[in-house]
Amino acid sequence: MAVQTVELKPSTGSLSRPSSWTTLGKNRIGLVGLIMLVAAVVVAVFASVLAPYDPKTSEGITSSDIYQRPSSAHLLGTDDAGKDVLSSFIYGSRVSLIVGFFAAFISIVIGGIIGIVAGFYGGRLENILMRFTDTMLVIPDLPLIIVIVALTKPSLLNIIFVIGLLGWTTTARLVRSQTLAVKSRKFVLRARAIGAGNWHIIQHHILPLVLPLLVVNAILVISLAILEESTLSFLGLGDPTVISWGQMLNFAFGRGAMSAGAWWALVAPGFGIVWIVLALTLLGHGLEQVLNPRLESHHLMPGRPAVQQEAMLGISARSSRNPKPVVLDIQNLSIHYISEDKPPARAVENVSFQLHEGELMGLVGESGCGKTTLMMALMKLLPAAGQIVNGKVLFNNQDLTAMSEEEIADVRWSAISIIFQGAMNALNPVRTVGEQIAEAIKKHVAIYHEAQVDERVSELLELVGIAEEHKDHFPHQYSGGMRQRAMIAMALACSPQVVIADEPTTALDVMIQAQILELLDDLRKKLGLAIIFVTHDLGVVAEMCDSVLVMYGGVTAEYASVDTIYNAPRHPYTQELLKAFPDLSKPEKRLSSIPGYPPKLDALPVGCRFAPRCPLAFERCFIEMPALHSLNGGDHIASCHLVEN
Amino acid sequence: MSRYRHLLKKIGWSAFTILFVLILNFFLFRVLPGDPVKSGTHDPRLKKETQEALRVRFGLDKQVINCFETLNPIKLGKCDLNPFDTQFFIYLRNLTRGELGFSFHTNRPVADILVERLWNTILLIGAGQVLAIIAGMVLGIFAAWKTRTSVDYGALITGLVAWSLPTFWLGILLLFWGSNNGFPIGGRVTPGTSSYPFSYQVGDIAKHMILPTLTYTIVYMGEYLLIMRSSLMDVLSEDYILTAKAKGLSAFQILKDHALKNAMLPIVTIVAINLGFTVAGAIQIETVFSWPGLGGAVFEAINRRDYPVLQGVFLLIAVSVVIANLIADLTYAYLDPRVQTE
Repeated sequence: MAVQTVELKPSTGSLSRPSSWTTLGKNRIGLVGLIMLVAAVVVAVFASVLAPYDPKTSEGITSSDIYQRPSSAHLLGTDDAGKDVLSSFIYGSRVSLIVGFFAAFISIVIGGIIGIVAGFYGGRLENILMRFTDTMLVIPDLPLIIVIVALTKPSLLNIIFVIGLLGWTTTARLVRSQTLAVKSRKFVLRARAIGAGNWHIIQHHILPLVLPLLVVNAILVISLAILEESTLSFLGLGDPTVISWGQMLNFAFGRGAMSAGAWWALVAPGFGIVWIVLALTLLGHGLEQVLNPRLESHHLMPGRPAVQQEAMLGISARSSRNPKPVVLDIQNLSIHYISEDKPPARAVENVSFQLHEGELMGLVGESGCGKTTLMMALMKLLPAAGQIVNGKVLFNNQDLTAMSEEEIADVRWSAISIIFQGAMNALNPVRTVGEQIAEAIKKHVAIYHEAQVDERVSELLELVGIAEEHKDHFPHQYSGGMRQRAMIAMALACSPQVVIADEPTTALDVMIQAQILELLDDLRKKLGLAIIFVTHDLGVVAEMCDSVLVMYGGVTAEYASVDTIYNAPRHPYTQELLKAFPDLSKPEKRLSSIPGYPPKLDALPVGCRFAPRCPLAFERCFIEMPALHSLNGGDHIASCHLVEN
Repeated sequence: MSRYRHLLKKIGWSAFTILFVLILNFFLFRVLPGDPVKSGTHDPRLKKETQEALRVRFGLDKQVINCFETLNPIKLGKCDLNPFDTQFFIYLRNLTRGELGFSFHTNRPVADILVERLWNTILLIGAGQVLAIIAGMVLGIFAAWKTRTSVDYGALITGLVAWSLPTFWLGILLLFWGSNNGFPIGGRVTPGTSSYPFSYQVGDIAKHMILPTLTYTIVYMGEYLLIMRSSLMDVLSEDYILTAKAKGLSAFQILKDHALKNAMLPIVTIVAINLGFTVAGAIQIETVFSWPGLGGAVFEAINRRDYPVLQGVFLLIAVSVVIANLIADLTYAYLDPRVQTE
């Protein structure tokens, strides 16, 4: 049966967390499995006490006792020999558990040793061992087990050994990859550097991290062994001297239970097998989740509907500095991440800004200050836990937050598009770049013919400097810079009015960065795009942007034109940020960094979020959150007690 | 270029594995105790000449392999023999001619028995696999898509329970239920209908196939469901799905055009690896439903201690599984553009 589900990804992160047991407690599936397994073990241990009859003797049984219906004397009826099915059923649990545990023990030991040796020593030894493992993995287990058991004496010991000796392959592969992962971790390298021997490293550093994985694997190997034993017994290859569930089924099936209508003799033993195997499967599934906690969420989960509260904290941005019409007007936007067992994380609070036609706005702030959350909310692309709890996103005076999923789907890309950071993952690896661009066009510009779409794709790629022949290539055939440019071409595919560039040049080398930024600026001038440019790079902002929004800990620190931000910043955070940035015009300037870290969203300070790191903080900053203050008649906004009045 | 090297490497490895299987198959039946050929040729009730004739018939008059007279117990023999005149090379030579020995029970060539039964097994496994893959994938897709809803939990529990069912027991239950509800009680055709019109016979086989195929589908569906679910969950949390969503594609379009191809890659491998387990399932199902396939042949061979048949079936199964794995590897390389340029 299935072995593949057994394979966990090698994880090295959270293996020995103290909360594992509490997590299992919360994991209902695992808990149910554990209880079912304990019940089975109790039945097996106390079989002689629990069984109403001794299934080994046939004293006092007459031919009239054969296949008797369940009654008060025989709760599960009698079998083909007139024996009590319940008693045999209870004793049968022993064989399943014994074979399962001992065979799995052999498999786990062999697989563990081969896996650790192969992973730890590597080289030719690893090659030989893994080739052997792969070969054994391909050869079908059960037919081989059947052949061997058929050729040898079918005793319990033989069965245990044969199942055990053939069941180690998945374990070996799993342990090897885990060992490889652990081996290259720092504390192992350190132990090696101070001269620890191989055996010491294996014993004290590798084993403890491999063991939890091995336990989960063992549970599944046990269940497979139990299934194999029952199959062997059912096929008539079981140990004839002991009672097992498979054998009970063999007898019942082969000796007329079908035609006698004796369903009890057929149902009971199978139920036992299912009980134990299901218990192990559930327990294994639960433990796997504990070991490898996965976010059970993805991008297709429905988002939470936006809600509106009373307008908070008064003012919003009403800039008059730009004469062109406003395309995007963000008013008092607040976003929370909702979780079941924790208070909501207030990721973005009361952010407002306006974007005019052809404007390039810089959005700056340290990592984790809510920039990406804010951008995702503009297109209603927040993850399932994210919720807009207040505010509006007005695009050409239409509120996007109030739109249904179908309505917003039409706005996406055709009106607002995104250049994601890290284009390697943002492009689908198994479809060509050309296809992925064409897809957006077909979705939103329905009037195009196939040929026109094709032409448009070539045109777009040419616009970003990619030759037409690369159209039918896959993303992995592109260089990093090309992928980012392809992403830009894709963002422009439906002639949007607003493009969000979310750190488009992170992880690219400086030359490529410059090219891409130049390209974006060109396109803006040529196509009249409004661009929101999310970045850490203040130099780029100074050079290219018209306005700047500085965020800190999810709130607006300061929002103004680029000149104001650079020459007359009012928020201490902006001031500190500029001090940390080299300025070519003032080469004598000393750079200083801001000590400390941005606040965690689930542990925000009561007062100003920047207060703990602020050099100018005073008493009030720690108690009261500053409001947004409007300076110069709305052109300049800052949230700081110091700018009051 | 690299694509061909990848291909050659895979083919080379499969050839090596098949060779390993051939050697294993040969020695297994000679090293382990309980070989009836040996006990037969040593039966004191038989005349010396009969014993000798049996030994010649089964090729036991030849030395096992150079330097070894017999392998169990190990007895050294001559080393200067012509290596082509040993049991091992005769075994290999016979294999290349498609000769797998004779059945103890019916005295027919094993190869003939296998060919006759192979098609029945392929019919059963084929129908069952296709249904199991379809059912498992559809349920898996729904579970992943509607994650953390009752649809998902229901599918997950169904998958885990189906996975835990012993195949033969589910078969027995369905047969028990079916025999009381007008289904045929096993076999492939109703006896005595061989002169009936062709369309009747096809319908008759189909009717006999329903319950075994259903058993097969239920048992294997669980696994495909679980794998599809977890694979699709992984894919759906990838960045490129967010890109697709940002492009305004509907959930259905995203699933169809962006998620499924990627999520199905693991399934390809699983189907092949599963073939080994599939055969295990076939042995049980064919036993329960008296389906005249390879699995049924295994069961009969066990009961009759018909070792040449057992050996032949094992060889056929093992080689098919190795080849299926090779095909899966090549399909994977074809489906995933990244493999080709690695």
